Amino acid sequence: MSMTPRERVLATIDHREPDRVPIVLGVSNATGIKMRTYREIKQLVGIVAEDRYLYDWPELGTADPDEATLQRLGTDVRGVWDLEPDWVLERNRAREPHSDYINSWGSGAKEITPGEWFPMVEPLKAATSIAEIEDYPWPDMHDPTRVAHVGERAARLALENQYAIMATPWLLFPLERAFAMQGMDTFLMNMAMYPDFAEALLWRIEELCKELMLHFLEELGDNVDIIKIGDDLGTQESLLMSPAMYRQMLKPVHADYIQFIKQHTRAQVMFHTDGDVFPLIDDFIEMGVDILNPIQTSAGKMSNLTELKQRFGDDIIFCGGMDTARVLPQGTPEEVRQETRRIIEALGQDGGLMIGAVHTVMNDVPAENVLAMVDAVEEFGHYPLEL
Amino acid sequence: MNGATLSSREDILARIHDCVLDGDPTGATEGTRAGLEADIEAMALVYESMVPALREVGRRFEAGEYFLPEMLMSANAMQACMDLVRPLLADSARKPIGTFVMGTVAGDIHDIGKNLCNAMLESTGFKVIDLGVNVPADAFVEAITAHEPDAVGMSAFLTTTMREIGRNIGAIEDAGLRDRVKILVGGALLDQAYADEVGADGYAPDANSAARLTKEVLGIDD
Repeated sequence: MSMTPRERVLATIDHREPDRVPIVLGVSNATGIKMRTYREIKQLVGIVAEDRYLYDWPELGTADPDEATLQRLGTDVRGVWDLEPDWVLERNRAREPHSDYINSWGSGAKEITPGEWFPMVEPLKAATSIAEIEDYPWPDMHDPTRVAHVGERAARLALENQYAIMATPWLLFPLERAFAMQGMDTFLMNMAMYPDFAEALLWRIEELCKELMLHFLEELGDNVDIIKIGDDLGTQESLLMSPAMYRQMLKPVHADYIQFIKQHTRAQVMFHTDGDVFPLIDDFIEMGVDILNPIQTSAGKMSNLTELKQRFGDDIIFCGGMDTARVLPQGTPEEVRQETRRIIEALGQDGGLMIGAVHTVMNDVPAENVLAMVDAVEEFGHYPLEL
Repeated sequence: MNGATLSSREDILARIHDCVLDGDPTGATEGTRAGLEADIEAMALVYESMVPALREVGRRFEAGEYFLPEMLMSANAMQACMDLVRPLLADSARKPIGTFVMGTVAGDIHDIGKNLCNAMLESTGFKVIDLGVNVPADAFVEAITAHEPDAVGMSAFLTTTMREIGRNIGAIEDAGLRDRVKILVGGALLDQAYADEVGADGYAPDANSAARLTKEVLGIDD
């Protein structure tokens, strides 16, 4: 039985076995491919196509891959995203080369080495009072140019009815935004030292996230299958903050945000959160997360795939799993093939797995390894799985 | 003898200890000022209150009782106290147990782990020279020539910047300085195998073990 890519994804998120494990690659930043590797893939497979950047944002460095490449990669989803307002995009195109990139939030990135940008412009770095939050010139989420293209693109994808539609509005992760406004170390410290301030900042950001999300969802209408949000909560060995602090300060924000999304769409919620988040997966399920991304198998207890599948597999879909710490950048194509097989066997039984890289496929990943991964899904990912 | 009575001396040291442990910079610096006014030696303030507190912070982190926010708060409180006593330590008879040059490699700006390592190393008795982030190979070489450290620490957070560690070690070898320093590495994606591969002398997964490892590779006894 052969399925369309969309049917494949919908069966998977319905906890049914599709014809093969769906692939999620190239369609948002966290599931995306950086530009140099994208160019190498095109060259390797002989595709000639224009280089385009996700979110029209060269400094992010993530490709918006052309259709032929997406098809060669076998990716079963297509992306829809918002844009920064026109005036921000124009201001940044017109700015001095190599000068700081500033977005509509007033936060931004500096160029550390040519072509490598890091989020280091933190406009609320020194803030510790609620008055400073109230006085800050927050972005206008009602600017129509943020979402003007969304409805048309989603409607076209829906009309074609070939691919699952995954929508990822940018910059709508509350903790990530707080880090961007204050710096990660500063905000983490403020969560402990000035919890009232930290909570107020998170709720203010979430309010803005909801404002834009509502416009975004209105543009999408029914033409969306997955909404991707998230916040990185894990480290290589543990959590960024204690489970108690998460449940006290951040979980209510996430829960409210997810509830809001579910009130306005029937799409599934994919929650992206890096690192070893094993102790919080029950919380994610309780909040209404349908799909967990990226299953960072190199981090702590997330390496225990058998336990992940047994404990949570009935309640949540896994998306990701392919190691970007070692296997994809440093492994041989054969190692990539074997790792793909291992992930499919451990997480793919009875459906419930969408495979993809744990992180953006960085510029140090050989194009051969990206192809080895997707070819291995074709080789080992057909149901019924041969275990 | 100093002017403080035994009980108030103990009270002051305990207060600084508890405030560093709780990440309270105001209380910790008040305690430090009170200690200095009561003529408690700077060395005692550091080694009998702050250092044991930070050691306990490290233990709690390793035990999963403390997470990054608590650890950052404690390191912050400790640094606020160190700013008060550092000028006085220079006059003290006790020399640092070693000099450590630290930096995040070129192309990388992640510094939370590096800064926590600095706090732990300083509290262990090392003089720490922090080169900051995005540090090119020649800056590590220059710092080794200028400061003659016992050890050099390099931090990298990304798969794309990890390779800089190998390049830096190559540059240190080319400059003929490799046998003068121990090189220690750390960062989220690194491990012992990687440290061995690039020819480093050690790898530490977190700040507490970094301080322990440095003493170990330099042969410094507790």
